Amino acid sequence: MSTLSLTGVSRWYGNVVAVNDVTFKVGPGITGLLGPNGAGKTTLLHMMAGFLAPSAGEVRLDATHTWRHPEVYRQIGFVPEREAVYSFLTGRQFVLASARLSGVPDAEAAAGRAIDMVELRDAADRAIGGYSKGMRQRAKVAAALVHDPPTLILDEPFNGMDPRQRLSMMGLLRAMAADGRTILFSSHILEEVERLSDRVLVVVAGRLAASGDFRRIRRLMTDRPHRFTLRSSDDRRLARELLAAPEVEAIELRDGMLSVRTGDYGALTRSVAPAAQRAGVSLLELRPADESLESVFSYLVRR
Amino acid sequence: MISTLASLTFRALLNRRRTLLLGLLGGVIVVVAVVYRLSASADAEALDFTGRLLANFGVAVLLPLVAVIVGTAALGSELDDGTIVYLLAKPIPRSVIVFVKLAVAWLVTALLVTLPILLAGVIGSGGDPGLGIGYGLAALLGALEYTAVFLALSLVTSRALVIGLAYVVVWEGVVAGLFAGTRIVSIRQHVLAVADALTGDGGVASELDLRTGLLVGGIVTIAAIVLAVQRLSTVELRGETG
Repeated sequence: MSTLSLTGVSRWYGNVVAVNDVTFKVGPGITGLLGPNGAGKTTLLHMMAGFLAPSAGEVRLDATHTWRHPEVYRQIGFVPEREAVYSFLTGRQFVLASARLSGVPDAEAAAGRAIDMVELRDAADRAIGGYSKGMRQRAKVAAALVHDPPTLILDEPFNGMDPRQRLSMMGLLRAMAADGRTILFSSHILEEVERLSDRVLVVVAGRLAASGDFRRIRRLMTDRPHRFTLRSSDDRRLARELLAAPEVEAIELRDGMLSVRTGDYGALTRSVAPAAQRAGVSLLELRPADESLESVFSYLVRR
Repeated sequence: MISTLASLTFRALLNRRRTLLLGLLGGVIVVVAVVYRLSASADAEALDFTGRLLANFGVAVLLPLVAVIVGTAALGSELDDGTIVYLLAKPIPRSVIVFVKLAVAWLVTALLVTLPILLAGVIGSGGDPGLGIGYGLAALLGALEYTAVFLALSLVTSRALVIGLAYVVVWEGVVAGLFAGTRIVSIRQHVLAVADALTGDGGVASELDLRTGLLVGGIVTIAAIVLAVQRLSTVELRGETG
């Protein structure tokens, strides 16, 4: 069992602040690091994995600083986001090399086990240069867990995987977490984090915007007002009808479209079609206006 | 652990088309020696020509060119493409990584340079191994100094190949030719000092004596290794997306 802890950690590049005064602990189980692209997730993960020095604060795995302590890699398996691998090696050679470099006693057996865990056996003896993105990803994961580390750090591990591979990888990570390992993975996809981890860390613009139980954070996200845009054959009549619905907070008519604000996402999507029917208008378009992750995150930051 | 690291480096270097082309360059010096031998007249002239061939092409062109390409790629190519993360995420002292990478780069450079020099020396001089062995041994030592410097350079800048080539062409080729005082920091002169001592001034005479050449060459090599270990210990990986 091991715990990664960050205390007052900041990292800047010249005048650009990539991570700003972040403090948290990650213990056994699966923790998701969620944030839009460019939020500082990779910078945080690289500091945790000892590849970047914090400009301020400290990063430790249990009692050991991760920066400039190669011995810490006996306890850490790291899966980088970058796709680059030794393309001239086969999958098996890559995982085996990783086992040997980690000082695993029976490297061949360990490599075989890791390859089986990520279901790469059929392709293990082909050169990685010819692998699909998903296969490369699995080879990287096998190489990271071949020395059976108590802590696993994965940067966007599901990139390039098809749905079946995703499910299988999620199953693998759950099984490893059930054994008491500390697993931290980053993602910019809300649903991935929701399905895999109970605990999340939400990072926005280098700051920790929220952390803790996913369901609580998710509730915060669903409580916020949502905005939809609507187009119909008669927007004014539809607006009149919709205003009677209790879940509608405000309606604006602008640029030839209706902009509807609601506090209840689900109720509105259910009431729009019946309202259009009652008003006798044809619904041409219904679209959420602010559903990007960025808007969800910035809402969290404002709270 | 060390054999795995060495074999990874070796395969990565030999997998590059550039390295294989350098093998052809080594072939050129042998071909020149063969062609000269076929048309040569007196033995004294042959020794003189072969000496100049080994110094002006073997030591001045082949050795630094091979060393700059192999030396900067030994760690530099992994830093460029990001695969260095698979070495840095292992419980291996950074000094071990540097020593193994340097040893492999030295071995590859030596194979691509020393063998052709040895062959060209023996063929060009009509079977006399003296010149070939002298220049071959000097090139072997020079390969270590060059690869150490270029490996360290690849950890200091991402433009190590360009800067390395500029050093070879501008500093060793032009500046050291114009200003005698700068020759003490020219690796080519260190190599020539050793070759001079071993062959008795066959070929191009060095401006440095053997002791100075070995001393400065040794200091430069050690300083480059220390710098490389220090840089690799503090190298930072930033990732692509922040």
